Amino acid sequence: MDIWEKLNTIDRRWIYLLMFLSILFPTIFVMKFPIELTPEAEQLYNAVEELPDSSVVMLTFDYYASALAETEPMSIAALRHMWRKDMKIITLSNIPLGGPTIAERVTREIAKEFDKVYGVDFVNLGYKANYVAVMHGLASSIESIFPTDYTGTPLSELPLMEHVKSYDDMKFIYCVADNATVDYWISIVNAQYDIPVGSGVTAVMAPKMYSFLEAGQLTGLLGGMKGAAEYEKMVGALGTATIGMDAQSMAHLLIIFLVIVGNVGFFMNRRKAKDAKE
Amino acid sequence: MESFSFLEHFQIWLKAYLILSLFSFMYKDNKFYKLSEHVFAGLSAGYYVGLIWQTVIIQQLVNPMFDKGEWWLIFPGLLGLLMFARMIPKWSWISRTSLAFYMGSTAGIYLIQTLHGFILPQVLSTMVSLDPSNGFAATLLALIIVIGVISTLIYFYFSKEHTGFMGVTARVGIWFIMISFGAHFGYTVMGRISLLIGRVQFLVYDWGESIRQIF
Repeated sequence: MDIWEKLNTIDRRWIYLLMFLSILFPTIFVMKFPIELTPEAEQLYNAVEELPDSSVVMLTFDYYASALAETEPMSIAALRHMWRKDMKIITLSNIPLGGPTIAERVTREIAKEFDKVYGVDFVNLGYKANYVAVMHGLASSIESIFPTDYTGTPLSELPLMEHVKSYDDMKFIYCVADNATVDYWISIVNAQYDIPVGSGVTAVMAPKMYSFLEAGQLTGLLGGMKGAAEYEKMVGALGTATIGMDAQSMAHLLIIFLVIVGNVGFFMNRRKAKDAKE
Repeated sequence: MESFSFLEHFQIWLKAYLILSLFSFMYKDNKFYKLSEHVFAGLSAGYYVGLIWQTVIIQQLVNPMFDKGEWWLIFPGLLGLLMFARMIPKWSWISRTSLAFYMGSTAGIYLIQTLHGFILPQVLSTMVSLDPSNGFAATLLALIIVIGVISTLIYFYFSKEHTGFMGVTARVGIWFIMISFGAHFGYTVMGRISLLIGRVQFLVYDWGESIRQIF
């Protein structure tokens, strides 16, 4: 049995091990590969940058805990960017598992860096089932959909919510998502209520989002960990996405190598079989 | 880094155990993997039921009725209750009333949303100018969009046999679809690798720090 035949029958667990090691080493020994900015990430950054200081914006945490590696760095970088401009942030989640608690943990953690006060500078509305109804309902009255915030405090007792009653009082919606809710922010809130929507999504969703970007329905896009790393770079606060991009690059190099080796092996074996037949 | 409390250590070790148990499936199926999988399924279901009960039934139905006197909410509440009739075969037909209401309202909402939010803006964005005075790059990109949209649509047009001009155009459409699949696949690989990176970062940084602090 030659090397190509051996490769053809290799136990896939060796590939899992190689993949794990290709991620483990750059995680331990950070190399800081350069990160190039894409126009769509810059567009999102500029859209937030151009908003007047102290604007009210909505930041959504529409993602499950499973997508944390890609989406959480986006939310953290967005919070830092917005609070640098002293913006008032309303967070909510259309995802029951993960989103509301992640929003609570992340916003309170970053709020400490900027001395922001809950109820005055930010409010977490939490989760409500049926996001289509929620998105339509927020256009007429936030309080009718969310009588209380995530912790059960009535909205009437939160100073920020005295001035924010519906989408009309918001300048921008920054949607971080790992699922189809972003389609609805675009097709309902942007299309019907004319609020600009920018988005950070998982890599799996990113290709689909480009059609919305091209059509001008989306104001900027972050795609996966790469998008998160770009935003971290623009905000100037490097985080887990930037560190993760080293491992990402190494894993991609390994995949490219394996694809080439796999294909060469396939053709070599095929030629060998053909020669044996002749 | 701040030193972890006992509870934080416990949480980190529990997370690390669950992650490693789930990863162990890559070697082969085992009891650790099964236990972690069942814990996840059970916790998710329990959490979801509790969340819906609190945020929908209590906040949107019970509280407005009893605190604000919005007694008309009894009608949507009853419609929701009727859905449970599906569990009794003899009375399952009753649930169709709720389903009919739900389907009717959903169809109305989605019709407007799909037209306004998807079809019209997307069609509009493919109606691009091919005027060469816009510059070579802009014209080329516009041309690619026009050819891509028309050829892909023709590929999905099944009322005429794909021969001759239709066949050639459909084959061009396949190329555009394949390139799109390639982009999706590439991004999907990147996404899945990112998830693994997230867990490895947790094991190296958080669990590693916890181990360092304990030992």
